[in-house]
Amino acid sequence: MNKLAQKYLRPSQIPTKACHGCGIGMIENWLLQAIDELGLKQEDVIFGTGIGCVGRQTFATWGGDNFGATHGRALAVATGLKLAQPDKKYLIVVGDGDAASIGTSHLIHAARRNLGVTVICEDNMGYESTGGQFSPTTPAGYVTNSSPYGMAEPSFDPCDVVKAAGATFVAETTATQWHQTVKIVKKALANDGFSFVHVRFPCNENFGAYALGTRDTLKNLEWIYEHTQGRKADGSETDFTWETGIKHDASNSRPEFSKIMRDMNERVRADMAAKAAAKSARA
Amino acid sequence: MPLFKTDKKPSRGPAGRWDVVVTEDMCKACGFCLAVCPVDVFAWRRAPNKLGWFPMYTEKEENCVGCMLCYQICPDFCIDVAVKEEPAADRGSD
Amino acid sequence: MATLDLASAETLHAPWVEWERRGVKGRRILEAGTYALTEGAIAAGCRVFAGYPITPATDIAEYMSKRLPQVGGYYVQCEDELAGMHACAGASLGGLKAMTATSGPGYTLMHDAYGWSVTNEIPLVVVDAMRVGPISGITGAPGQGEFYVARYCSHGGNFETIVLSPCSVQEAFWLTIDAFNLAERFRTPVTILTDQVVSDMWEDLFVPDDYEALDFVVPRRHNLMMPFYPVGSADIDVAPNVIGHGTGVCVSAYTHTEEGYDIEEMEAQWAQTYRLVNKIRHHRGECTRYETLGFEDAEVVAVAYGANARTVRTGVVEARRRGLRAGFVRPITLWPFIDELYAADRHYVVCELNYDGQLVREVTRAAPDRGKVHFMGKSAELHTVAEVVTALEGVARSGRMPELPYIWTEVR
Repeated sequence: MNKLAQKYLRPSQIPTKACHGCGIGMIENWLLQAIDELGLKQEDVIFGTGIGCVGRQTFATWGGDNFGATHGRALAVATGLKLAQPDKKYLIVVGDGDAASIGTSHLIHAARRNLGVTVICEDNMGYESTGGQFSPTTPAGYVTNSSPYGMAEPSFDPCDVVKAAGATFVAETTATQWHQTVKIVKKALANDGFSFVHVRFPCNENFGAYALGTRDTLKNLEWIYEHTQGRKADGSETDFTWETGIKHDASNSRPEFSKIMRDMNERVRADMAAKAAAKSARA
Repeated sequence: MPLFKTDKKPSRGPAGRWDVVVTEDMCKACGFCLAVCPVDVFAWRRAPNKLGWFPMYTEKEENCVGCMLCYQICPDFCIDVAVKEEPAADRGSD
Repeated sequence: MATLDLASAETLHAPWVEWERRGVKGRRILEAGTYALTEGAIAAGCRVFAGYPITPATDIAEYMSKRLPQVGGYYVQCEDELAGMHACAGASLGGLKAMTATSGPGYTLMHDAYGWSVTNEIPLVVVDAMRVGPISGITGAPGQGEFYVARYCSHGGNFETIVLSPCSVQEAFWLTIDAFNLAERFRTPVTILTDQVVSDMWEDLFVPDDYEALDFVVPRRHNLMMPFYPVGSADIDVAPNVIGHGTGVCVSAYTHTEEGYDIEEMEAQWAQTYRLVNKIRHHRGECTRYETLGFEDAEVVAVAYGANARTVRTGVVEARRRGLRAGFVRPITLWPFIDELYAADRHYVVCELNYDGQLVREVTRAAPDRGKVHFMGKSAELHTVAEVVTALEGVARSGRMPELPYIWTEVR
C-alpha cells in the first residue's frame, strides 16, 4: 500500500470495505496527505466517524484512536471528548446523511459553539449504504430508490447551514479536486475552531445505478468532474454546477468552545481564591 | 481539460525516472489510474487477485512522467509514485 | 410477639453503612435530593455534566452549572438529551468522569447513547428522576414507570445493566458515589432511578468537608494496552479505555474484536456478549444493595423502592404494632434483580408507583408461589400508611388483596 497508508492506517482494515470506484478511499488518501504535510503524528489526530458508507468504510481504517459514533451523533460525542482532550486534532469524517440529515442538530450547535474540530462531510448525495434512497443533498428531480418519480423535496447545501450557525471555516470541493482538497483540509485543520469541508464524491453501486443510469466508474467520476467544471465533455452546460472553493474563512477569529470553558473555569477559580484571601485577611 | 485521456500522449521530459508501484492484491479494478494517466503506463492483468478483481499493473513503467495523477485518484491506497533512486555507479561524472 | 425491635430487626446491606462509620469530618445541612445527587457526583470525581433541563431533574443541571467550574469541571447544556448523553460518553472516553440527569421524556431519547456506552464499556452515571405516566403524565408527581426501561435501556439485547434507587436525600448522596464506583469497576453506565419526591424533598444531609480525602472513591484509571475489550472474559476492575493517549483504540456500537473494530462473525458475537452479560451476572454480589425490616419471621412482606418505600415501611411498622407479622424489603439495587430476597415461601405485597405492574412481575418470577405475590399499584401519590396496613392485613387474612380506591391490584 502507499507510504502514507503504511504510516497512518490500520493494516488489518485495508483494503477498505468500500465498493470499487467509491470516492471514500480517494478522499481519505488526501486527508493523509494533509495530515502528513502538517507534520502531524498518528497520536496527534483523532478520527470520529458515523454510520453509513462514509462512516463505516472510514471507521477503524485510521491507525490511531478513533470512534464510530451512533448515526448522526459523532459531533455530540466530539463535544464531550474535546473537553477532555482539547489538544488533539479532530477529523470528523461523516456522510451527507450523518451530518446533514440525522445529525444536523449537532452540526448546527457544534458550529455555534465553535467546537475545535474539522468536519469532512463526504457527500454522495443519498443514503447509499441502505441502497440508494434520497437525502437532503440529492439534486432536485433525480430518481433514487425512494424517489422513483424524481426527488420532489428541495435539497440544501450543508455549507449554508453551518455558515449561518457560526462556523469559522467553510469550504467545498469534489472528488476531482485532489490538490485543492489537500490545501483546504490543511487550512481547515489550522483553524482552532469549527471547520467544515464538504466533498462531493461518486457512488457507483447506487446513486450511479439509479440516478445516473450506470455503474461505470469512469462515467460516474466524469459526472462529478462535469458538475465541478460546469461543462460536459461535449461543451454543453450541466444542469447545475457546484460552487467549490473556500466559502468562508474566519479562522481563529473567535474563541474555540473548550477554550471558552477553560477560561470560564479560570475566572471562577480566581474569583474563589480572591474571596478566600479577602476572608482570611479580614479574620 | 478532460479528466480521462483515452488517447495517451508519447512520454517526454522526465519519463523513465519514476518508480510506480501498484499493490495488486489491494486493487479493486476501478480503472481510474489507467484512464487518468496521460501517457501509457498501466494495463489490466489477465488473472484475478485475492479480492476477486482483475487488477491493474504497470506494464510500461518507463513511460511514467511523474504527474502523480494515478496516486491522487486511486481509491484503495494501492499506488506509490516516487523518483527512482540513482544507482551508486551513475552518480558523479565519469 | 409480633412487635419489632427496630434496632435489631433492620438490616441495610450497602457500602455506605461502612462509609458513615469512618467518621469523616463534615457538616449537617438541610438540602434537596437534587443537591445531594450533585454533591455526591462531585465527591465521586465527576467533572462533566452534559444534559438538558427537565422537571424534576432541572435543579441538578443548575447546581452542576454552578459547581463544576468551581472544581475545574465542565457543564455543557446540550441541544437535547441524546446529545447530552453522547457528550458525556465522549468526555468519559477522554478520561473525565461524567454524569447526566433527566426525567422520562429525556430518558427515552438516551437509548441510542446508552447502547453506545454499554457496548463500548464506558463508565457513566445517568439519573432518571421518574415522573408518573402514562408517558409525560403529571410533571410534578412521582412515578415508577421506568423499572424495565432502565434494565432494557437500549436495543439489541445481549447486555446487562446496573440500576440503583435511593429513598432519602442522605442515601442519594452516598448512592451517587457508589454509582460512580460501580461504573468504574464494571466499565458500564449505571442508572440512578429517583422520582419527583426524592429529587425535590428537603432533608437532613451530612456532607463531608474534604472530598479529596474520601478513600472509598474509585479513581479513574486508563487502559493503555490491548486488549481494549477483553471479550470472552467476565473480569471486572479492568481500567476504562481512553481516547487521546495514542493507544489506537477503536470505539463503535458494532460487534467488535479486542481491538474494537467491527467484525461480523458468530464467535465474536458470543465472546462480546459473554463479557457484557457475565461481567455483571458473575459479580452480582459486588453491586447488591438492599434494606429489610422484620424479615426473619414475617408472614407477609411488603416490597417497595424509592419514595413510596418510606410510607410502606411505616405501614409495616404500624401493622406489626397491630399484631401482624409483617416484613419489609426495599431493593436498592433494582438490576441485576436480587432474586434471593423473594426466595421464602410467603406472601409478598409489591407496592409500586405505577398501574401496569413492573416490579411485581419480577417478584412473581423470583418467588416460589405465584399465587402469593400481590400487586398494590398506585399513581401520582405515595401509598398511605393506612392503605398499606389495610392491604397487609387483608392479604394475611384472606390471601387476596382487598379492594381499595385507586389501588390497582390486577397484573396480566
